Amino acid sequence: MDFEPLPHAFPFRFADGVIERTGPAQGRVQATVTADAAAVRATGFPAAALAELVAQSALLLSGGDAALSRKGFLAGISDFSVERLPEPGDVLVVDVALAGRLGDAVKFEGVVTERGGGTVARGAVTVKQGTS
Amino acid sequence: MPDDLKKRVKELIVRQLKLEMDPSSIADEAPLFGDADGGLGLDSIDALELVLGVEKEFGIKVQDEEVGVKAFASVNALCDFVREKAA
Repeated sequence: MDFEPLPHAFPFRFADGVIERTGPAQGRVQATVTADAAAVRATGFPAAALAELVAQSALLLSGGDAALSRKGFLAGISDFSVERLPEPGDVLVVDVALAGRLGDAVKFEGVVTERGGGTVARGAVTVKQGTS
Repeated sequence: MPDDLKKRVKELIVRQLKLEMDPSSIADEAPLFGDADGGLGLDSIDALELVLGVEKEFGIKVQDEEVGVKAFASVNALCDFVREKAA
């Protein structure tokens, strides 16, 4: 699995790795919701963590784009809706597409689905790249 | 119709950034970014949102950050940029 671009460490690394790349900063990422992640132990998998998951997925995928830095952080969330909160053991698939970029600010559209199931969340995240 | 373009640009700014203000209250020359008096105090994340809004509203792509900073300096600057690209 391709973890190198992410500055995050367990238990705040939600994305397992890249399933497929379909373009620069675009593709599909897998995430397994683990029971022993701190976020799950504390309050369940919070809705905000799904936005963070989309951002981490985008950063994993953007590692293949030479114009983008390899590190960054979640800087904005827009039009993000959550259908249901995932539970430990769920395997999620995150589809990410590049929406736009200006300088070090990059916006991605993301859809989180349960593998073989329905939509969990969808929306856009903006990441600031170049800093960890 | 210059005034129509200014109205359209101001409405785009308010809609795209989900600002809770009357579009007509945005001064034509007021700086959109930074903390200057009378400015909107927008940041780089807002700039990206405006870039996407301009692309959707006017079909104009802004890919260069330097061009973006100049074009989004004020409502008047953005109107000049749209006119230039549309010409």
